[in-house]
Amino acid sequence: MRGITRTNYHESMIETLHAAQRLPLSRRRLLGNSAKFAAGGVAAAAFVTPAALGFRSAMAQEFGGPVDVLNYALTLEHLEATFYRTFNEEFGESDFADAEYGEAVYGRLVNIGEHEQAHVDTLIAVIGDLGGEPVEEAMYDFGVTDVNSYVATAGVLENLGTGAYTGAAQFLIEEDELLTAALTIHGVEARHAAYLNFLNGEVPFPEAFETALTTEEVLAAATPLIVNAMPATGTGSSLD
Amino acid sequence: MRELHTLFLDAVDEQRLRVASRRGLLSGGAKVAAGGAAAMAFAASPAFTRLVAAQEFESDLDVLNYALTLEHLEFAFYRDGIDQFSAEDFEAGVYDNLTLVRDHEGEHVDTLVSVITDLGGEPVEEAEYDFGYEDADGFLMVAAALENTGVSAYDGAAAAIENVDLLNAAGSIVAVEARHASYLNLTIGEDPFPAAFETPLTPEEVLEIAGPFIVS
Repeated sequence: MRGITRTNYHESMIETLHAAQRLPLSRRRLLGNSAKFAAGGVAAAAFVTPAALGFRSAMAQEFGGPVDVLNYALTLEHLEATFYRTFNEEFGESDFADAEYGEAVYGRLVNIGEHEQAHVDTLIAVIGDLGGEPVEEAMYDFGVTDVNSYVATAGVLENLGTGAYTGAAQFLIEEDELLTAALTIHGVEARHAAYLNFLNGEVPFPEAFETALTTEEVLAAATPLIVNAMPATGTGSSLD
Repeated sequence: MRELHTLFLDAVDEQRLRVASRRGLLSGGAKVAAGGAAAMAFAASPAFTRLVAAQEFESDLDVLNYALTLEHLEFAFYRDGIDQFSAEDFEAGVYDNLTLVRDHEGEHVDTLVSVITDLGGEPVEEAEYDFGYEDADGFLMVAAALENTGVSAYDGAAAAIENVDLLNAAGSIVAVEARHASYLNLTIGEDPFPAAFETPLTPEEVLEIAGPFIVS
Protein backbone atom coordinates (compact mmCIF):
# COMPACT_ATOMS: atom_id res chain seq x y z
CA MET A 1 0.00 0.00 0.00
CA ARG A 2 1.99 2.89 -1.23
CA GLY A 3 1.10 6.07 -2.98
CA ILE A 4 -1.78 8.14 -1.68
CA THR A 5 -1.54 8.19 2.07
CA ARG A 6 -3.84 10.12 4.33
CA THR A 7 -6.26 10.30 1.49
CA ASN A 8 -9.79 9.18 1.81
CA TYR A 9 -9.86 5.89 -0.06
CA HIS A 10 -13.52 6.22 -0.74
CA GLU A 11 -12.97 9.51 -2.52
CA SER A 12 -9.93 8.37 -4.40
CA MET A 13 -11.75 5.26 -5.60
CA ILE A 14 -14.75 7.23 -6.80
CA GLU A 15 -12.44 9.72 -8.42
CA THR A 16 -10.60 6.93 -10.15
CA LEU A 17 -13.80 5.30 -11.23
CA HIS A 18 -15.19 8.51 -12.65
CA ALA A 19 -11.94 9.35 -14.37
CA ALA A 20 -11.98 5.97 -16.01
CA GLN A 21 -15.55 6.45 -17.13
CA ARG A 22 -14.89 9.89 -18.55
CA LEU A 23 -11.77 8.96 -20.42
CA PRO A 24 -12.51 8.59 -24.12
CA LEU A 25 -11.81 5.16 -25.51
CA SER A 26 -9.15 6.36 -27.91
CA ARG A 27 -7.22 7.87 -25.07
CA ARG A 28 -7.58 4.79 -22.91
CA ARG A 29 -6.18 2.71 -25.72
CA LEU A 30 -3.18 4.97 -26.00
CA LEU A 31 -2.39 5.15 -22.34
CA GLY A 32 -0.47 1.93 -22.16
CA ASN A 33 1.46 1.59 -18.96
CA SER A 34 0.87 4.98 -17.50
CA ALA A 35 -2.53 5.03 -15.88
CA LYS A 36 -3.93 2.75 -13.29
CA PHE A 37 -7.64 2.47 -12.78
CA ALA A 38 -7.18 -0.59 -10.67
CA ALA A 39 -7.87 -0.32 -7.01
CA GLY A 40 -4.66 -2.20 -6.37
CA GLY A 41 -2.49 0.80 -6.96
CA VAL A 42 -4.37 3.07 -4.62
CA ALA A 43 -3.54 3.34 -0.97
CA ALA A 44 -6.13 3.26 1.69
CA ALA A 45 -6.70 4.87 5.01
CA ALA A 46 -10.34 5.73 5.45
CA PHE A 47 -12.86 3.59 7.17
CA VAL A 48 -16.33 3.52 5.70
CA THR A 49 -19.02 1.99 7.85
CA PRO A 50 -19.31 -1.53 6.54
CA ALA A 51 -22.68 -1.79 8.26
CA ALA A 52 -23.89 0.00 5.17
CA LEU A 53 -23.35 -3.27 3.38
CA GLY A 54 -25.23 -5.31 5.92
CA PHE A 55 -21.98 -7.08 6.50
CA ARG A 56 -21.34 -7.32 10.22
CA SER A 57 -17.99 -8.96 10.39
CA ALA A 58 -16.24 -6.50 8.17
CA MET A 59 -16.37 -4.06 11.04
CA ALA A 60 -13.54 -6.01 12.50
CA GLN A 61 -10.37 -6.68 10.57
CA GLU A 62 -10.77 -10.34 11.34
CA PHE A 63 -13.60 -12.52 10.19
CA GLY A 64 -15.72 -14.40 12.68
CA GLY A 65 -15.42 -17.60 10.70
CA PRO A 66 -15.52 -19.13 7.24
CA VAL A 67 -19.14 -18.14 6.65
CA ASP A 68 -18.21 -14.50 7.13
CA VAL A 69 -15.38 -14.79 4.64
CA LEU A 70 -17.68 -16.41 2.14
CA ASN A 71 -20.34 -13.75 2.70
CA TYR A 72 -17.73 -11.10 2.09
CA ALA A 73 -16.94 -12.79 -1.24
CA LEU A 74 -20.66 -13.13 -1.97
CA THR A 75 -21.18 -9.41 -1.36
CA LEU A 76 -18.76 -8.68 -4.18
CA GLU A 77 -20.01 -11.42 -6.45
CA HIS A 78 -23.59 -10.15 -6.10
CA LEU A 79 -22.37 -6.72 -7.11
CA GLU A 80 -20.49 -8.07 -10.11
CA ALA A 81 -23.24 -10.44 -11.24
CA THR A 82 -25.86 -7.68 -11.09
CA PHE A 83 -23.53 -5.34 -12.92
CA TYR A 84 -23.07 -7.63 -15.90
CA ARG A 85 -26.67 -8.83 -15.94
CA THR A 86 -27.88 -5.23 -16.03
CA PHE A 87 -25.58 -3.90 -18.70
CA ASN A 88 -25.47 -6.98 -20.88
CA GLU A 89 -29.23 -6.48 -21.12
CA GLU A 90 -28.97 -2.75 -21.63
CA PHE A 91 -26.33 -2.97 -24.33
CA GLY A 92 -26.05 -5.32 -27.26
CA GLU A 93 -23.59 -6.34 -29.92
CA SER A 94 -24.44 -3.35 -32.07
CA ASP A 95 -23.61 -0.93 -29.26
CA PHE A 96 -20.19 -2.52 -28.98
CA ALA A 97 -19.71 -2.37 -32.73
CA ASP A 98 -20.69 1.31 -32.69
CA ALA A 99 -18.12 1.95 -29.95
CA GLU A 100 -15.50 0.23 -32.14
CA TYR A 101 -14.92 -2.77 -29.97
CA GLY A 102 -13.99 -6.06 -31.59
CA GLU A 103 -16.65 -8.61 -32.48
CA ALA A 104 -15.83 -10.94 -29.61
CA VAL A 105 -16.08 -8.38 -26.82
CA TYR A 106 -19.79 -8.49 -26.08
CA GLY A 107 -19.76 -12.28 -26.00
CA ARG A 108 -16.87 -12.22 -23.56
CA LEU A 109 -18.74 -9.86 -21.26
CA VAL A 110 -21.68 -12.24 -21.39
CA ASN A 111 -19.30 -15.05 -20.39
CA ILE A 112 -17.93 -13.00 -17.53
CA GLY A 113 -21.48 -12.33 -16.36
CA GLU A 114 -22.19 -16.07 -16.41
CA HIS A 115 -19.07 -16.70 -14.36
CA GLU A 116 -20.08 -14.16 -11.74
CA GLN A 117 -23.54 -15.70 -11.49
CA ALA A 118 -21.95 -19.14 -11.10
CA HIS A 119 -19.84 -17.73 -8.28
CA VAL A 120 -22.94 -16.28 -6.63
CA ASP A 121 -24.85 -19.55 -6.93
CA THR A 122 -21.94 -21.56 -5.57
CA LEU A 123 -21.27 -19.26 -2.64
CA ILE A 124 -24.96 -19.22 -1.69
CA ALA A 125 -25.05 -23.01 -1.77
CA VAL A 126 -21.86 -23.40 0.26
CA ILE A 127 -22.89 -20.83 2.86
CA GLY A 128 -26.23 -22.60 3.15
CA ASP A 129 -24.51 -25.97 3.55
CA LEU A 130 -22.42 -24.50 6.35
CA GLY A 131 -25.57 -23.37 8.15
CA GLY A 132 -24.96 -19.72 7.38
CA GLU A 133 -27.25 -17.11 5.95
CA PRO A 134 -26.12 -15.83 2.54
CA VAL A 135 -26.15 -12.05 2.15
CA GLU A 136 -28.68 -10.87 -0.36
CA GLU A 137 -28.26 -8.91 -3.52
CA ALA A 138 -28.61 -5.17 -3.00
CA MET A 139 -29.48 -2.38 -5.40
CA TYR A 140 -26.61 -0.61 -7.04
CA ASP A 141 -25.77 2.50 -8.94
CA PHE A 142 -22.73 1.98 -11.11
CA GLY A 143 -22.82 5.29 -12.92
CA VAL A 144 -22.56 3.58 -16.30
CA THR A 145 -23.81 5.70 -19.17
CA ASP A 146 -22.46 4.01 -22.27
CA VAL A 147 -20.46 1.05 -23.50
CA ASN A 148 -17.15 2.74 -22.76
CA SER A 149 -18.03 3.47 -19.17
CA TYR A 150 -19.41 -0.05 -18.86
CA VAL A 151 -16.08 -1.55 -19.89
CA ALA A 152 -14.12 0.91 -17.75
CA THR A 153 -16.22 0.14 -14.67
CA ALA A 154 -15.95 -3.59 -15.32
CA GLY A 155 -12.18 -3.19 -15.21
CA VAL A 156 -12.36 -1.44 -11.86
CA LEU A 157 -14.65 -4.08 -10.39
CA GLU A 158 -12.59 -7.05 -11.57
CA ASN A 159 -9.33 -5.60 -10.31
CA LEU A 160 -11.04 -4.83 -7.03
CA GLY A 161 -12.42 -8.37 -6.81
CA THR A 162 -9.01 -9.88 -7.49
CA GLY A 163 -7.43 -7.76 -4.77
CA ALA A 164 -10.24 -8.68 -2.38
CA TYR A 165 -9.77 -12.43 -2.81
CA THR A 166 -5.99 -12.01 -2.61
CA GLY A 167 -6.45 -10.29 0.73
CA ALA A 168 -9.11 -12.56 2.17
CA ALA A 169 -7.89 -16.03 1.18
CA GLN A 170 -5.68 -16.15 4.28
CA PHE A 171 -8.76 -16.23 6.51
CA LEU A 172 -9.63 -19.63 5.07
CA ILE A 173 -6.24 -21.14 5.88
CA GLU A 174 -7.83 -23.58 8.33
CA GLU A 175 -10.42 -24.70 5.80
CA ASP A 176 -8.54 -26.46 3.02
CA GLU A 177 -11.52 -27.15 0.78
CA LEU A 178 -12.96 -23.66 1.11
CA LEU A 179 -9.55 -22.11 0.55
CA THR A 180 -9.07 -24.09 -2.65
CA ALA A 181 -12.56 -23.20 -3.81
CA ALA A 182 -11.95 -19.52 -3.13
CA LEU A 183 -8.69 -19.65 -5.05
CA THR A 184 -10.38 -21.22 -8.05
CA ILE A 185 -12.68 -18.19 -8.13
CA HIS A 186 -9.80 -15.82 -7.44
CA GLY A 187 -7.91 -17.01 -10.52
CA VAL A 188 -10.91 -16.42 -12.74
CA GLU A 189 -11.41 -12.90 -11.37
CA ALA A 190 -7.76 -12.25 -12.20
CA ARG A 191 -8.32 -13.54 -15.73
CA HIS A 192 -11.29 -11.20 -16.12
CA ALA A 193 -9.24 -8.30 -14.75
CA ALA A 194 -6.40 -8.94 -17.20
CA TYR A 195 -8.79 -9.07 -20.14
CA LEU A 196 -10.60 -5.90 -19.11
CA ASN A 197 -7.32 -4.08 -18.56
CA PHE A 198 -6.40 -5.13 -22.07
CA LEU A 199 -9.71 -3.77 -23.42
CA ASN A 200 -9.17 -0.55 -21.53
CA GLY A 201 -5.71 -0.07 -22.98
CA GLU A 202 -4.08 -0.94 -19.69
CA VAL A 203 -1.33 -3.41 -18.95
CA PRO A 204 -3.11 -6.72 -18.27
CA PHE A 205 -0.70 -7.56 -15.44
CA PRO A 206 0.60 -4.35 -13.89
CA GLU A 207 2.62 -5.97 -11.11
CA ALA A 208 4.60 -9.15 -10.43
CA PHE A 209 2.62 -9.63 -7.22
CA GLU A 210 -1.07 -8.94 -6.88
CA THR A 211 -1.88 -6.32 -4.28
CA ALA A 212 -3.89 -7.78 -1.43
CA LEU A 213 -6.71 -5.49 -0.39
CA THR A 214 -8.11 -5.36 3.12
CA THR A 215 -11.82 -5.58 3.79
CA GLU A 216 -11.84 -1.89 4.67
CA GLU A 217 -10.29 -0.97 1.34
CA VAL A 218 -12.68 -3.16 -0.60
CA LEU A 219 -15.78 -2.06 1.23
CA ALA A 220 -14.78 1.57 0.96
CA ALA A 221 -14.58 1.11 -2.78
CA ALA A 222 -17.75 -0.93 -3.13
CA THR A 223 -20.02 0.89 -0.69
CA PRO A 224 -20.60 4.00 -2.83
CA LEU A 225 -22.01 1.75 -5.55
CA ILE A 226 -24.63 0.30 -3.25
CA VAL A 227 -27.76 2.42 -3.00
CA ASN A 228 -29.81 0.26 -0.67
CA ALA A 229 -27.48 -1.82 1.33
CA MET A 230 -29.98 -3.47 3.59
CA PRO A 231 -32.90 -4.28 1.33
CA ALA A 232 -36.25 -4.89 2.94
CA THR A 233 -37.86 -8.18 2.10
CA GLY A 234 -38.69 -8.34 -1.54
CA THR A 235 -36.66 -5.30 -2.39
CA GLY A 236 -33.71 -5.32 -4.65
CA SER A 237 -33.14 -9.01 -4.45
CA SER A 238 -33.96 -10.64 -7.72
CA LEU A 239 -31.77 -13.69 -7.96
CA ASP A 240 -32.40 -15.30 -11.28
CA MET B 1 10.12 -39.87 3.58
CA ARG B 2 12.27 -37.61 1.47
CA GLU B 3 11.40 -34.09 0.53
CA LEU B 4 9.21 -33.61 -2.47
CA HIS B 5 11.72 -31.70 -4.49
CA THR B 6 14.29 -34.48 -4.14
CA LEU B 7 11.74 -36.95 -5.44
CA PHE B 8 10.86 -34.53 -8.16
CA LEU B 9 14.46 -34.22 -9.27
CA ASP B 10 14.86 -38.01 -9.26
CA ALA B 11 11.81 -38.33 -11.41
CA VAL B 12 13.10 -35.63 -13.70
CA ASP B 13 16.43 -37.46 -14.02
CA GLU B 14 14.65 -40.59 -15.13
CA GLN B 15 12.61 -38.50 -17.46
CA ARG B 16 15.72 -37.00 -18.97
CA LEU B 17 17.09 -40.43 -19.84
CA ARG B 18 13.82 -41.43 -21.42
CA VAL B 19 13.57 -38.25 -23.45
CA ALA B 20 17.21 -38.54 -24.51
CA SER B 21 16.73 -42.08 -25.77
CA ARG B 22 13.50 -41.18 -27.55
CA ARG B 23 15.14 -38.19 -29.12
CA GLY B 24 17.89 -40.38 -30.55
CA LEU B 25 15.23 -42.21 -32.50
CA LEU B 26 13.13 -39.32 -33.61
CA SER B 27 13.74 -36.31 -35.79
CA GLY B 28 13.58 -32.80 -34.38
CA GLY B 29 10.10 -32.24 -35.70
CA ALA B 30 8.74 -35.02 -33.56
CA LYS B 31 9.96 -33.62 -30.28
CA VAL B 32 6.56 -32.66 -29.03
CA ALA B 33 5.19 -36.10 -29.83
CA ALA B 34 8.18 -37.62 -28.09
CA GLY B 35 7.45 -35.45 -25.09
CA GLY B 36 3.92 -36.76 -24.98
CA ALA B 37 5.06 -40.35 -25.16
CA ALA B 38 7.67 -39.66 -22.53
CA ALA B 39 5.03 -38.16 -20.29
CA MET B 40 3.16 -41.42 -20.37
CA ALA B 41 6.33 -43.37 -19.67
CA PHE B 42 7.09 -40.90 -16.92
CA ALA B 43 3.86 -41.79 -15.18
CA ALA B 44 5.05 -45.38 -14.81
CA SER B 45 8.58 -44.63 -13.59
CA PRO B 46 9.67 -45.70 -10.08
CA ALA B 47 10.62 -42.14 -9.13
CA PHE B 48 7.23 -40.95 -10.22
CA THR B 49 5.56 -43.60 -8.11
CA ARG B 50 7.47 -42.35 -5.10
CA LEU B 51 6.47 -38.83 -5.98
CA VAL B 52 2.81 -39.75 -6.04
CA ALA B 53 3.26 -41.43 -2.67
CA ALA B 54 4.59 -38.11 -1.42
CA GLN B 55 1.58 -36.25 -2.72
CA GLU B 56 1.03 -34.76 0.69
CA PHE B 57 3.50 -31.93 1.07
CA GLU B 58 5.41 -32.43 4.28
CA SER B 59 6.18 -28.79 4.92
CA ASP B 60 5.73 -25.33 3.55
CA LEU B 61 9.26 -25.62 2.17
CA ASP B 62 8.11 -28.49 -0.03
CA VAL B 63 5.31 -26.38 -1.43
CA LEU B 64 7.66 -23.46 -2.01
CA ASN B 65 10.18 -25.61 -3.80
CA TYR B 66 7.41 -27.10 -5.90
CA ALA B 67 6.37 -23.56 -6.85
CA LEU B 68 9.99 -22.63 -7.49
CA THR B 69 10.41 -25.62 -9.79
CA LEU B 70 7.64 -24.23 -11.98
CA GLU B 71 8.78 -20.63 -11.74
CA HIS B 72 12.31 -21.62 -12.80
CA LEU B 73 10.83 -23.37 -15.80
CA GLU B 74 8.68 -20.38 -16.72
CA PHE B 75 11.40 -17.80 -16.25
CA ALA B 76 13.92 -19.78 -18.30
CA PHE B 77 11.32 -20.23 -21.01
CA TYR B 78 10.77 -16.49 -21.43
CA ARG B 79 14.36 -15.41 -20.77
CA ASP B 80 15.82 -17.70 -23.42
CA GLY B 81 12.89 -17.63 -25.81
CA ILE B 82 12.24 -13.91 -26.08
CA ASP B 83 15.78 -13.33 -27.32
CA GLN B 84 15.06 -15.53 -30.31
CA PHE B 85 12.26 -13.27 -31.50
CA SER B 86 11.64 -9.62 -32.16
CA ALA B 87 8.57 -7.42 -31.86
CA GLU B 88 7.79 -7.94 -35.56
CA ASP B 89 7.25 -11.64 -34.98
CA PHE B 90 4.13 -10.92 -32.93
CA GLU B 91 1.00 -8.81 -33.12
CA ALA B 92 1.28 -5.27 -31.80
CA GLY B 93 2.02 -5.03 -28.11
CA VAL B 94 2.61 -8.74 -27.57
CA TYR B 95 6.40 -8.64 -27.44
CA ASP B 96 6.42 -5.93 -24.77
CA ASN B 97 3.91 -7.86 -22.70
CA LEU B 98 6.02 -11.01 -23.02
CA THR B 99 9.02 -9.17 -21.61
CA LEU B 100 6.84 -8.02 -18.73
CA VAL B 101 5.72 -11.59 -18.09
CA ARG B 102 9.37 -12.65 -18.14
CA ASP B 103 10.23 -10.01 -15.56
CA HIS B 104 7.38 -11.16 -13.34
CA GLU B 105 8.54 -14.77 -13.46
CA GLY B 106 12.06 -13.62 -12.64
CA GLU B 107 10.73 -11.78 -9.60
CA HIS B 108 8.78 -14.85 -8.54
CA VAL B 109 11.96 -16.95 -8.77
CA ASP B 110 14.02 -14.43 -6.79
CA THR B 111 11.37 -14.11 -4.10
CA LEU B 112 10.88 -17.85 -3.69
CA VAL B 113 14.63 -18.45 -3.55
CA SER B 114 15.09 -15.88 -0.82
CA VAL B 115 12.07 -17.04 1.18
CA ILE B 116 13.16 -20.68 1.02
CA THR B 117 16.67 -19.65 2.09
CA ASP B 118 15.32 -17.51 4.93
CA LEU B 119 13.34 -20.50 6.16
CA GLY B 120 16.51 -22.60 6.23
CA GLY B 121 15.59 -24.61 3.17
CA GLU B 122 17.56 -25.37 0.05
CA PRO B 123 16.05 -23.80 -3.07
CA VAL B 124 15.83 -26.12 -6.07
CA GLU B 125 17.99 -24.98 -8.94
CA GLU B 126 17.08 -24.17 -12.48
CA ALA B 127 17.24 -27.18 -14.77
CA GLU B 128 17.78 -27.45 -18.50
CA TYR B 129 14.67 -27.39 -20.58
CA ASP B 130 13.51 -28.17 -24.07
CA PHE B 131 10.23 -26.52 -24.94
CA GLY B 132 10.06 -27.79 -28.49
CA TYR B 133 8.68 -24.65 -30.14
CA GLU B 134 9.95 -23.62 -33.55
CA ASP B 135 8.36 -20.25 -34.23
CA ALA B 136 6.61 -17.33 -32.55
CA ASP B 137 3.20 -19.03 -32.68
CA GLY B 138 4.65 -22.14 -31.10
CA PHE B 139 6.29 -20.01 -28.43
CA LEU B 140 2.95 -18.43 -27.53
CA MET B 141 1.28 -21.85 -27.40
CA VAL B 142 3.84 -23.13 -24.93
CA ALA B 143 3.64 -19.89 -22.94
CA ALA B 144 -0.12 -20.26 -22.59
CA ALA B 145 0.24 -23.91 -21.60
CA LEU B 146 2.80 -23.05 -18.92
CA GLU B 147 0.78 -20.18 -17.46
CA ASN B 148 -2.48 -22.10 -17.34
CA THR B 149 -0.66 -25.02 -15.73
CA GLY B 150 0.96 -22.66 -13.25
CA VAL B 151 -2.41 -21.37 -12.07
CA SER B 152 -3.68 -24.91 -11.56
CA ALA B 153 -0.50 -25.90 -9.75
CA TYR B 154 -0.75 -23.08 -7.24
CA ASP B 155 -4.46 -23.69 -6.75
CA GLY B 156 -3.78 -27.36 -6.11
CA ALA B 157 -0.96 -26.75 -3.65
CA ALA B 158 -2.09 -23.68 -1.71
CA ALA B 159 -4.18 -25.63 0.80
CA ALA B 160 -1.01 -27.41 1.93
CA ILE B 161 0.55 -24.14 3.10
CA GLU B 162 0.38 -23.64 6.84
CA ASN B 163 2.03 -20.25 7.28
CA VAL B 164 -0.28 -17.31 6.62
CA ASP B 165 2.41 -15.07 5.17
CA LEU B 166 3.44 -17.74 2.72
CA LEU B 167 -0.17 -18.34 1.74
CA ASN B 168 -0.55 -14.62 1.07
CA ALA B 169 2.56 -14.64 -1.07
CA ALA B 170 1.31 -17.63 -3.03
CA GLY B 171 -2.05 -15.92 -3.47
CA SER B 172 -0.45 -12.81 -4.86
CA ILE B 173 1.62 -14.87 -7.29
CA VAL B 174 -1.20 -17.08 -8.53
CA ALA B 175 -3.37 -14.09 -9.42
CA VAL B 176 -0.59 -12.77 -11.63
CA GLU B 177 -0.15 -16.18 -13.24
CA ALA B 178 -3.88 -16.13 -13.98
CA ARG B 179 -3.55 -12.68 -15.54
CA HIS B 180 -0.72 -13.99 -17.71
CA ALA B 181 -2.78 -17.04 -18.67
CA SER B 182 -5.75 -14.91 -19.63
CA TYR B 183 -3.69 -12.67 -21.88
CA LEU B 184 -1.73 -15.51 -23.47
CA ASN B 185 -4.92 -17.43 -24.21
CA LEU B 186 -6.10 -14.32 -25.99
CA THR B 187 -2.93 -14.16 -28.10
CA ILE B 188 -3.43 -17.71 -29.36
CA GLY B 189 -7.13 -17.28 -30.06
CA GLU B 190 -8.30 -19.20 -27.02
CA ASP B 191 -10.89 -18.16 -24.49
CA PRO B 192 -9.06 -16.04 -21.87
CA PHE B 193 -11.34 -17.40 -19.13
CA PRO B 194 -12.58 -20.79 -20.26
CA ALA B 195 -14.42 -21.71 -17.07
CA ALA B 196 -16.09 -20.03 -14.09
CA PHE B 197 -13.65 -21.83 -11.77
CA GLU B 198 -9.98 -22.70 -12.14
CA THR B 199 -9.02 -26.37 -12.13
CA PRO B 200 -6.65 -27.23 -9.27
CA LEU B 201 -4.10 -29.85 -10.29
CA THR B 202 -2.18 -32.25 -8.08
CA PRO B 203 1.62 -32.34 -8.29
CA GLU B 204 1.55 -35.52 -10.37
CA GLU B 205 -0.87 -33.97 -12.85
CA VAL B 206 1.36 -30.92 -13.12
CA LEU B 207 4.46 -33.03 -13.55
CA GLU B 208 2.84 -34.97 -16.34
CA ILE B 209 2.46 -31.66 -18.16
CA ALA B 210 5.73 -30.00 -17.17
CA GLY B 211 7.97 -33.08 -17.03
CA PRO B 212 8.43 -33.44 -20.78
CA PHE B 213 9.91 -29.93 -20.96
CA ILE B 214 12.63 -30.73 -18.47
CA VAL B 215 15.80 -32.15 -20.00
CA SER B 216 18.08 -32.23 -17.00
